[in-house]
Amino acid sequence: MARYGMLIDTTKCIGCFTCRTACQRQNGLLDDEAFIRFETRESGKYPNVHVETVPLQCMHCDDAPCAQVCPTGAAHMGEDGIVQVDQDRCIGCLYCMAACPYQVRVRNSKTGSVDKCRFCTVSAYTSGTKMCTCVEACLTGARTFGDLDDPDSEISKKIAETGAAPIAPGLSKPKIYYVR
Amino acid sequence: MSFTPIWGVPIALYLFLAGLGGGAFVTAYCLRRTAPGQAESTRRFAHYAAFIVVCIGLAMLMLDAKAGFFHPQRFFLLLTNFGSWMTWGVVFLVLFTLADFIVCILDLTKHKTPEWLEVFGVIFGLLVAVYTGALLATPHAFPLWNSAALPILFLVSAMSTGAALVIGFAAIKRPEEFKAMEWVSDAHYWLPIAELVLVFFLMWVTYHNGEAGANSVLVLMVGQYALAFWLGFIIIGLVLPLIIESVGRFGKKESRGMTACADVCVIIGGYLLRWLIIVAALPVTLVVPAMF
Repeated sequence: MARYGMLIDTTKCIGCFTCRTACQRQNGLLDDEAFIRFETRESGKYPNVHVETVPLQCMHCDDAPCAQVCPTGAAHMGEDGIVQVDQDRCIGCLYCMAACPYQVRVRNSKTGSVDKCRFCTVSAYTSGTKMCTCVEACLTGARTFGDLDDPDSEISKKIAETGAAPIAPGLSKPKIYYVR
Repeated sequence: MSFTPIWGVPIALYLFLAGLGGGAFVTAYCLRRTAPGQAESTRRFAHYAAFIVVCIGLAMLMLDAKAGFFHPQRFFLLLTNFGSWMTWGVVFLVLFTLADFIVCILDLTKHKTPEWLEVFGVIFGLLVAVYTGALLATPHAFPLWNSAALPILFLVSAMSTGAALVIGFAAIKRPEEFKAMEWVSDAHYWLPIAELVLVFFLMWVTYHNGEAGANSVLVLMVGQYALAFWLGFIIIGLVLPLIIESVGRFGKKESRGMTACADVCVIIGGYLLRWLIIVAALPVTLVVPAMF
């Protein structure tokens, strides 16, 4: 079975937020509901300044802290290691939002349930259809999606090449790797 | 990066009221053991009050859990994941509320409550109080919460506010019973001191727990919540009751009015503690430190 993950190359990210908009359109999200959020860090001194934009979204952790605390079983580990939220089980207690070390879960202001990145790219893989996901929409090709367990996959090769690593050490076992 | 707290006033109120109810019930049992037959109407008040405040707290909880409020049948799913403190909290709350409800019925029908039932209620009252802290202590991304001191602090605060409610009632409404409550009053006197020690170590350890920990403590001590923390929680909620009670104890004769004032202060402090802990917690730093 595949174990899907993503690589985000922040050295290619220009902070245009296209991925977030594409995701909102693709998944029919509310205006105030975004599965991708951004942190921006400035470093260096004028004139040698560096601006780093880091897109953050559900890391689909192997040890998902959200699923561990979810009292109703709404947040759970689905097939192919994709963390899912069963919208019909969620009561909106927000405990998962407190447990998520990356603050990437959002409450749907209409339904009150919690939602987050669904790794929808996987459906492009399984059905072979091209679709407007964060990966496809990225103007600079900063995102790579694929099977982490397949050593010959593009993502596995890129991780080995670039030494990409989780955004912060010790928080969980995430499946999104960052080049920074 | 700015951070919006996940929970707000309704959940702070819930955590406070659940502790208050548990504490009041435990106080009533202490009265049964230490002043047998001498504070019966105060004990009845404690049982009723515990039931009412816990029910108000539960209503807050359900209103805040919006998706569950819209689909109440989903609340039954709460008993799914026994690896979650939230699930255990539901178990503790249901058993505590049930025990308290039966005790209230027995009180109303002028029957004597069997001691085992009250002990059962005490156990689950204590568990309700301690779970409210354990719930927050689990998420490891918030250094202010992720501490072994927090469940203990919430437990002590719950006992303190619960006892304050019961003692305050007796001081105002049942002066003759108030005189018999010496043991409970003595025990209650020391709780704010224990809380001060626990708060000191919670702040100390959290300050040394990374950027997020330090920022959470700074937000409380010198930042946006400094006034509520120092004036509301530390001075009004802990130090003032201690001074009032000390003057009563070691100075001239204790006045019931002053005791009631001290008890109101303790209750205000108990709520502020829950609210401050909820809103001041900042998550661990990923790229840039979270600030308000």
